[in-house]
Amino acid sequence: SVQAHKEEKSQKSMEMNGLTMAPDSYDYDLIVIGGGSGGLAAAKEAAKYEKKVMVLDFVKPTPQGSSWGLGGTCVNVGCIPKKLMHQAALLGQALQDSRKFGWQFTEEVKHNWMTMTESVQNYIGSLNWGYRVALRDNKVTYENAYGEFVGPHTIKATNKKGVEKLYTAERFLIATGERPRYLGIPGDKEYCISSDDLFSLPYCPGKTLVVGASYVALECAGFLAGLGLDVTVMVRSILLRGFDQDMANKIGEYMKEHGVHFIREFVPVKVEQVEEGTPGRLKVTAKSTTGNQIIEGEYNTVLLAIGRDPCTRKIGLDKVGVHINEKTGKIPVNDEEQTNVPYVYAVGDILQDKLELTPVAIQAGRLLVRRLYAGATTKCDYVNVPTTVFTPLEYGACGYSEEAAVEKFGEENIEVYHSHFWPLEWTVPSRDNNKCYAKIICNIQDNERVIGFHVLGPNAGEVTQGFAAAIKCGMTKEQLDSTIGIHPVCAEV
Amino acid sequence: MGWEETQVRGYEEFVRTAQRYHGRPIFALFCGDKDAEGRSWCPDCVTAEPVVRKELQNLPDGSVFIYCLVGDRTYWKDPNNEFRRNLKLTGVPTLLKYGTPQKLVEEECFKAELVRMLFTED
Repeated sequence: SVQAHKEEKSQKSMEMNGLTMAPDSYDYDLIVIGGGSGGLAAAKEAAKYEKKVMVLDFVKPTPQGSSWGLGGTCVNVGCIPKKLMHQAALLGQALQDSRKFGWQFTEEVKHNWMTMTESVQNYIGSLNWGYRVALRDNKVTYENAYGEFVGPHTIKATNKKGVEKLYTAERFLIATGERPRYLGIPGDKEYCISSDDLFSLPYCPGKTLVVGASYVALECAGFLAGLGLDVTVMVRSILLRGFDQDMANKIGEYMKEHGVHFIREFVPVKVEQVEEGTPGRLKVTAKSTTGNQIIEGEYNTVLLAIGRDPCTRKIGLDKVGVHINEKTGKIPVNDEEQTNVPYVYAVGDILQDKLELTPVAIQAGRLLVRRLYAGATTKCDYVNVPTTVFTPLEYGACGYSEEAAVEKFGEENIEVYHSHFWPLEWTVPSRDNNKCYAKIICNIQDNERVIGFHVLGPNAGEVTQGFAAAIKCGMTKEQLDSTIGIHPVCAEV
Repeated sequence: MGWEETQVRGYEEFVRTAQRYHGRPIFALFCGDKDAEGRSWCPDCVTAEPVVRKELQNLPDGSVFIYCLVGDRTYWKDPNNEFRRNLKLTGVPTLLKYGTPQKLVEEECFKAELVRMLFTED
C-alpha cells in the first residue's frame, strides 16, 4: 500500500506540472478550508445544489494544549460559551436581586466553576456532533485535517497523525478565521491563557488579570467578576477601539462601579511563575505607556485579549498567488468575496475591512454559494449590521457611532437624541437608576433618517435586532416618534 | 477482543448495566417494548433496528452494545419518565454513545452512514 500511495502522488504531480485540468477531472467542485461559521454555512449550501464538497477543519492546540471540535471559533471558544458564561454571571446578580422581591434563602450563594464549565462544554459537544451529522447527511466530506495549498487547484491535507493527502478542486473557499494574539514578552506563552483556553479551563481561574480592552477582554472580565472573582483589566490606551467612545466609557464606568479594577495606560513586560498549580500564582511586571513607572502584581491567571490574527500565513497562499495584506494577514476581496485568484474565495473574520461577526460570515458564505451555483446575483450587504457587546451592562448598536457620523456628515448635519432610562426590574432591588442609556443619531439632511442606534441596558441584543431591521428600511426620526412604545419595557425609550 | 451485546429492560436495569461496563465504550439503542410476536409498538424502532444491527460489525474493539427496551407506549408517552428526565431522551429509537453528547434520534437511525459514523469516529 506504500507503493500505491507513491504512485498516486506522482500522478498528481504530473497533473500539477503541465497539463491543464478540465473541470470534471477535479476531485471536488468546492473545497472549504475552515469549518467555522462561514465555512460550514457555505459547504451546506453548496451541497444543496448537489455539488461535491469537502470541508477541512483543524485546530492547532494552544500553547496550553487546548483544542476543540468542528464548528469554529463561535461555537467552541467564542459567542456560544461566552454568552452562556455571561448568563451565569447575570443569574448570580438575579439571585441577589431576588431577595428584594421576596425570595428567602439563608445560605450564601457561591459559584462552582467546574459545574458551569462542564455544562457549557457538554452543550458545545452536542453542537460539534450536530455539525458532523449535518455534513454527513448532506454528503459533504469532512476531514479533521490541516489544509494548505501546494499548487494550482491543489491542496494538501495533513491529519493529526501526520498522514498527508492531496486533493484538487475547481474552486476553494478560505474560511480559516483567526486566533488570539500573544504579547511577545517573556512568559506569555508559557503562563498566560487566552479565550481559546478560558471556556474549557479545568479549574477556576481565581484572581485574574485581563490584558486588553477589546470586547473580548471586557466581556470576559465582566462575567468573571460577575461570578465572584477578583478581576483587573490592564488597558494600554482606550476601551473598545472602533466603537462609539461615549458608550465605551459608560461601559467601563459601570464595570468599575461593580468591582472590576482597571489599570489604565500600562502594558505588561514580563510574566513569571511564582508557584505552580491549578491555578498557580503569576507575577506580572508592567510599564507605563506615558512614563517610566513600573508596577508589579500577583494573579492566579493572566488572560490575554489584545487582538486576533488571521490564520492566513501558513496555508500556502503564496503557492497559488493569493494576495494578503502583509501587515495584518487579512485577505482583500472584491464585493463578491473573490480574492485576486479567480477560483479562490474567502469569507469571515479573515476578510479585510469587513465586520468580524458570525452572522456576517454565514450570510456571506451562503450568498456566495448561491451566486456560484444557483445563478443568484445578491451580494452580501455589510452596511448597518447590528452588533452587541455582552459586558455586564450590555451594549447593542447598529449603524454609525457618533464619531463616525460626525466625520462622515459633519457635526452640524447630525442630530443626536438620547435618554437615560431605569429598567422597571431594577427599581425594586434599588439597582443603579441612571446607568442605562439609549441614543439615536440622525442625518438632518436626509429627513432625519436614523443612521445610528445605540443602547446600553439589559437584553440589549434583543432590543437592537428589531431596530436594525427598521434602520435597513430607512426609518426616520418622525417614523420612530410615531411608533407607539410597548410598556413597561426598556425598548420603549 | 471484538464487541459484546447485552439486552436490558427498563431504566434501572440500564443504569446498573452501564455502570458495570464503566471504562469501556458503551453504545446503547433504546426501543419500545416488543409484543409476544417480537413486534415493537414503535414503528420507527422496527425500521431502525436492522440498520443498526448491520453496522454493529464496525464497533470498536472492547465496546459494549446495550439493547434497551424502554417500556410500553403509555410509559414512554409520560413526559416525566426516567429516560426523558435523566438521560434526556426525546424520542425512540435513540442510538447513543454513552457519556458523550453523540446521539442519533428517530429517522437519523435509519441512515447507515450516520450509524457507522457514530460507531467508528471520535
